[in-house]
Amino acid sequence: MKESSPTNQDIFDVRKIRRLVEMMKAHDLSEIDLQQGEVRIQLRRPQPCFQQSFVPQPPNPALAAPMKQEAVAEPAVPPRADAGIMIKSPMVGTFYAAPDPESPPFVKVGDHVGPDTIVCIVEAMKVFNQIPAEVSGRITAVLVENGSSVEFGQPLFKIEAGG
Amino acid sequence: MFKRILVANRGEIALRILRACRELGVETVAVFSEADRGAAYLELADEAYCIGPPKAAESYLKIDRVISAAEIGNVQAIHPGYGFLAENAHFAEICRSCEIEFIGPSHEAMALVGDKNAARKLAKQVNVPTVPGSDGLVEGEAQAVSLAHELGFPVLIKAAAGGGGRGMRVALNDLALKSAIQQAQAEAEAAFGNAEIYLEKYVEHPRHVEVQVIADRHGNAVHLFERDCTMQRRHQKLVEESPAPLLDENTRAEMCEAAVRLIRAADYTNAGTVEFIVDPSGNYYFIELNARIQVEHPVTELVTGIDLIKAQLLVASGEKLPFAQGDVKPQGASIECRINAEDSEKNFRPTPGTISRFRVPGGFGVRFDSHVHEGYVVSPYYDSMIGKLLVHQPTRAEAIACMKRALAEMRVEGVKTTIPMHQKILDHAAFNESRVDTTFIERTWPS
Repeated sequence: MKESSPTNQDIFDVRKIRRLVEMMKAHDLSEIDLQQGEVRIQLRRPQPCFQQSFVPQPPNPALAAPMKQEAVAEPAVPPRADAGIMIKSPMVGTFYAAPDPESPPFVKVGDHVGPDTIVCIVEAMKVFNQIPAEVSGRITAVLVENGSSVEFGQPLFKIEAGG
Repeated sequence: MFKRILVANRGEIALRILRACRELGVETVAVFSEADRGAAYLELADEAYCIGPPKAAESYLKIDRVISAAEIGNVQAIHPGYGFLAENAHFAEICRSCEIEFIGPSHEAMALVGDKNAARKLAKQVNVPTVPGSDGLVEGEAQAVSLAHELGFPVLIKAAAGGGGRGMRVALNDLALKSAIQQAQAEAEAAFGNAEIYLEKYVEHPRHVEVQVIADRHGNAVHLFERDCTMQRRHQKLVEESPAPLLDENTRAEMCEAAVRLIRAADYTNAGTVEFIVDPSGNYYFIELNARIQVEHPVTELVTGIDLIKAQLLVASGEKLPFAQGDVKPQGASIECRINAEDSEKNFRPTPGTISRFRVPGGFGVRFDSHVHEGYVVSPYYDSMIGKLLVHQPTRAEAIACMKRALAEMRVEGVKTTIPMHQKILDHAAFNESRVDTTFIERTWPS
């Protein structure tokens, strides 16, 4: 899995866990093991005990955000606007961090961006597509190397929204 | 031979192509939508790229993303499989303009045969019998009515841009014809962006017999005999077999030669299938040419012993066909049952879900082509086929017995399947005696 979870101060999202349990019953699963970044949920039947391992993040002013599920046929829960999120590639191609080899990168860690700020280029079929951030916030991580191939949905930047 | 190709498809056909490439030492790049992320067959590819969200229109049909994946994957060619972009002449053209070989016919040949009316004209030019009908497109109601009277009702209105059973309407009389024409044109416009229609006499109680062909770019064109696909429901094939039962030897030879004549005339290269209907008197008529590898290609592979996907790769890479017509000697009988995740007792409603148990049949003469396994999630976004069960035996009777045995061995839990339907078909006297036509399934088991 390529997505990392945002900082999550809400340890138990009971609704989600209940949904997972129902899914397990419906499909007669004995175990579910979901991992997203530093958060992992493990559910086992028939013992009615839930295990969860959680690695705490350093303190962060961002509020808790719901986890995006990779469950079957369930629509993705959109992240709340005031939490850490990912800027993902909307296309397949080659990632370039700067407008050209001589220029500095579009953005670096710590930069504030708005929805229309160009954060990178993804080149495909000789067309250099400028990719806007589509959110406001502060860049906290650059997740891909300049010149590397990216697929649809691949996380490119970690951004702390709201900044 | 190519060094590396991209497989622009999913599921069992993607697996089929990946396997052939592995055997030939060709590296592979697979593409997948978010719904197919983590699918086991992707592990066979050397590289795999996500090209979009679950819906086909936003992933497998996105030409720009498929081409981009081909570029970052550094491939020399793309195999489109069947469905999706396989018969998209525009896509074939874009591939070639990006200097990526398209594993299939030229886009010109594809465009020609994709126009059903143009293909019909070409067939007539090379003395391939066609269903009596309009000489070209039908321009107006008056023309259609007078032609229908000449041909005799019932008549079939067909969309020139249609195919595969889509864009067709039967009319039994003048009144029905007039309204059917208007509806057919509207539907064709909406579905294919092209309202052109033509008329054919409606052949009643037909059998569907198609001929597998393949041609290279050195002027060699070969047929690999025929398949009978009469067992259909709403134009979807359920069971296919070879040889076509009760087909006169002369008729078989004529149909196969006609198929080769047609693809030569169309300058058609790589694999294709020429479809005919055969009326109860044994007259055969050309219907359409499918410019792709078909779902049921393994039926032909089993009786001829020829790997069609490898042959496609060889042809596309510019090599000569490794066999001549005289080398193609079919043996025995082969049958295929398409196993779909559908409830055959509830109008074949698709039943997506997680496969909790999957026991696959085996044994002498059994071949099972499937990307599915225990734990596999059948999603609602794509067709519902979970596998193709094939048998090959010395005689048809033995093939039927083998298929019954194999079907009885299969266990699929978590989704419903069409296995019960196949068992009914194989038990039915009419199927065993080949007293069937393309309406048989719908008449015998109406919804």
